[in-house]
Amino acid sequence: MLSEFSLIALFILIVMGFATTLVLIPQALKKIGIVPSKPSEVKYEPYECGLETIGETWVQFKIRYYFYALLLITLDITVIFLYPWAVELKNLGSSSLGVIFSFIGILAVGYIYAWRKGALEWK
Amino acid sequence: MEIRTDSTSLDIDRHEGNLIKELRSSSTKPVTEPSGWLSEDLKRNIFLTTVDNVLNWGRKSSLWTETAFTACCTFEFISLSSSRFDIARFGMEVLRSSPRHADLIITAGTLTWKMAPQIKRVYEQMAEPKWVIAMGACGITGGIFADSYSVVPGYNRILPIDVYIPGCPPRPEALLAGIELLRKKVEKRSFLQG
Amino acid sequence: MPELITVGAAISPNLPWSDWQFGFWIHLLIFGIGIISLLLGSVIIFIWLERRLVGRFQRRLGPNRAGPLGLLQSVADVIKILTKEDIVPSRADKLIFWIAPIVAFTPVVLMLAVVPVADGALLADLNIGILFVIAISSITALGVFMAGWASYNKYSILSAMRTVAQLVSYEMPLILSMVGVVIIAGSLSLNDIVKTQTVPFIVLQPAGFFIFFIASLAEINRTPFDLLEADSELVAGYNIEYSGMKFATFYLTEYCEAIVLSTLAATIFLGGWQGPWLPPIVWLLLKIGIVFCFIVWIRSTLPRLRIDQVMGFAWKFLLPLAILNIFVTSIFVALWPETPAWLMGLTNLAILVAYILFWSKLFKPGGKAVAV
Repeated sequence: MLSEFSLIALFILIVMGFATTLVLIPQALKKIGIVPSKPSEVKYEPYECGLETIGETWVQFKIRYYFYALLLITLDITVIFLYPWAVELKNLGSSSLGVIFSFIGILAVGYIYAWRKGALEWK
Repeated sequence: MEIRTDSTSLDIDRHEGNLIKELRSSSTKPVTEPSGWLSEDLKRNIFLTTVDNVLNWGRKSSLWTETAFTACCTFEFISLSSSRFDIARFGMEVLRSSPRHADLIITAGTLTWKMAPQIKRVYEQMAEPKWVIAMGACGITGGIFADSYSVVPGYNRILPIDVYIPGCPPRPEALLAGIELLRKKVEKRSFLQG
Repeated sequence: MPELITVGAAISPNLPWSDWQFGFWIHLLIFGIGIISLLLGSVIIFIWLERRLVGRFQRRLGPNRAGPLGLLQSVADVIKILTKEDIVPSRADKLIFWIAPIVAFTPVVLMLAVVPVADGALLADLNIGILFVIAISSITALGVFMAGWASYNKYSILSAMRTVAQLVSYEMPLILSMVGVVIIAGSLSLNDIVKTQTVPFIVLQPAGFFIFFIASLAEINRTPFDLLEADSELVAGYNIEYSGMKFATFYLTEYCEAIVLSTLAATIFLGGWQGPWLPPIVWLLLKIGIVFCFIVWIRSTLPRLRIDQVMGFAWKFLLPLAILNIFVTSIFVALWPETPAWLMGLTNLAILVAYILFWSKLFKPGGKAVAV
C-alpha cells in the first residue's frame, strides 16, 4: 500500500517538474532573443478594455460565495460517510440501509432549510 | 504604477478630456513605420535562418485576432469568420478578448478621438510580436469623415499599420487578400530584430 | 523504506517488468513518461479535432492550411505561443502569478495515474482510486483562483470567484453520481471497477452517467457552463493577464481536463479497456474519443447559461437526483442482489425520465429568473 503511494508521490514530482520546465522555457528563449521583450509602463498595467483602472482591486467580495462554501462543507461530510458504506454495502446487508437513510434524512433537513432561506439563489 | 482614486464622474471626465487633448496634439503626423522593424542593412540583404522559417510559419499560421472593433466594417469581418468565407482555414477563428493573447488587431471602421486613447492603450498592452491591419476608407484616411472635428484621420496617426485594405466597406474577399499580404509580411520577419 | 521500494509490491504481476531488479523505477519511468506524452499528444490531436468538428457543425471547413488537413495547426499554435512575449503586470503578486499555472496543471495529469489502460496496467493501483481522483480534481480550482487573484485585475478576480463557486457547486453531484457505481462494483479501485463491468455501467446507471456527464461539463467549464470565459461579460476569464507559455499552460490544462474527464467517463461508465478483438488501449482511446466528440457536439449545439441558472441547476436539480439515484441503487443491491441487469437499468432510466418531467413543471419559461 505504502509503495503505491510512493509511486504517486514520485509522479507528483515528475509532473511538477514538467510543468515548471514548461513555464520556464520562454525565459531561456528570451536570453537567446527568440522571445521578444519590449517593456513599457503601459504594458504592465492591468487591462480593462483600454481604460485605466480606478480604485483598489483586492477588496472584499460578496457573502454569496461564502454561502456556497458553507453548503459544500456541510454536504461534503455526506460523501465521507457514503463512500465507505457504498463499498461495503454488499456485506453489510439491508440493516445498514436504515442507518444511512436516516443520516441522509438529517442532512436533508439542513438542505431544505437552506433552500427555504434562499441560500441556493444567486443574487 | 499609481492607482487612480477619482471619486466623482466629473474627475473622470476631466481626466479623459485631458488624455484626448494630449493625444490629439501629439499625433498630428502619421506614425512612420510600415516596415520599421526591418533595419537598414537588413532591408537590402534579408537572410532567414531555419529558426526564422519555423517561427514565422508558426506565427503566420495562428494569427489570433483581438476583438477591438470600432465601427461598421466589423460586419465584414463577421461575415469573413462565418461559413461562407471561413477564416478558420488559416487558423484565425480564435478571437481573443484580451490583448495579452492576441497577435493581430484589425481596426475596422471609423475611429473617433474619444475612442482613440483606448485603442492606443489596447495596442500598447498587446504582447510582442503584434501586427495591425487598417481596414476600410475610414481606417486609412478618415474616409468621408476626414474633415470632421471628432474623427481621427487614419489609424496611422496613432498606430503603426502593417497592411491597408481600402473599400467602404471592403468586401470579405478584400479582407482575405489583406490577410494574405500580412501572412507574406510575417514570413519576412527575422527574430534578430527582436 | 529502501526495501519497500525495491520489492515492487505495488506493481501488478501482469506487467513484464514486475520481477525485474529495478522494476519499481522502470515502472515509474515508463508510466510517468507514457502518461504525460500520451496526454500531450492527444491534446494536440483533440484540439485539431475539435476545431475541425466545430467547423463541420457550422458548415465550414475548419483549419486546413497548416500541414495536411490542417493537422499541424496545434503545432503552429504552440510555436507561436511559446515565442510570445512574457508579461507579468507590475502590480501583480509575482510569486503566485508564476506558480498558479503549475498548481492548475499538476492535478489534472495526476488523475490519470489511477486509470488502467489494460488489466493491471496502471501507474498505481490505489484501493481508494475514485476518492483519489475526487480529492485531486478539486485542486485545479485553487490554481484558477490563484491566477485570478494574483493578476490584480478586476475582471479576472470576478471570473475566478465565479469559477470557484461553479466548481464547488458541481463537485457535489459529480461525487455523488459515482456512488451508485461504487455500490454495484463494491470497490473504489478503478482497475476493479473496470473488471466488474461485464455489462458497461452506463446500462445499469443511466441516471448516474447523466449526472456525471453534466457535472463534468461544468467542471471543465465547457459550454453550456463556460461562464468563466464569457467574453461579453468578463473579457477573457481568469487568465486575462497571462500571455505566452503561462497562458498556454492554462489552455493546456483546460483541454487536459476535458480529456481526463472523458477518460474517467469511459473508464467508470463505458467499460474502460474492455472490448473484443482490438487491444485494450485502443478500446480505451476509442471510447475517450467518442466521449470527447460528444462534448464537442454539445458545445456547438447549446448556448451559454446565466450564472443563476447554472447554480440553480446544480443545487436544485442535480443534487436531489444524485441522492435519489443512490437510494434506488442501494435498495436494489441490498434487498434484491439477484436483480437482472436490464430491470435495474430500466428502473433507473424510468426514474430519470420521471424526475426530469416532474422538475420541468417547476421551471417557468420566459425571460424571468428561474425560481424553484
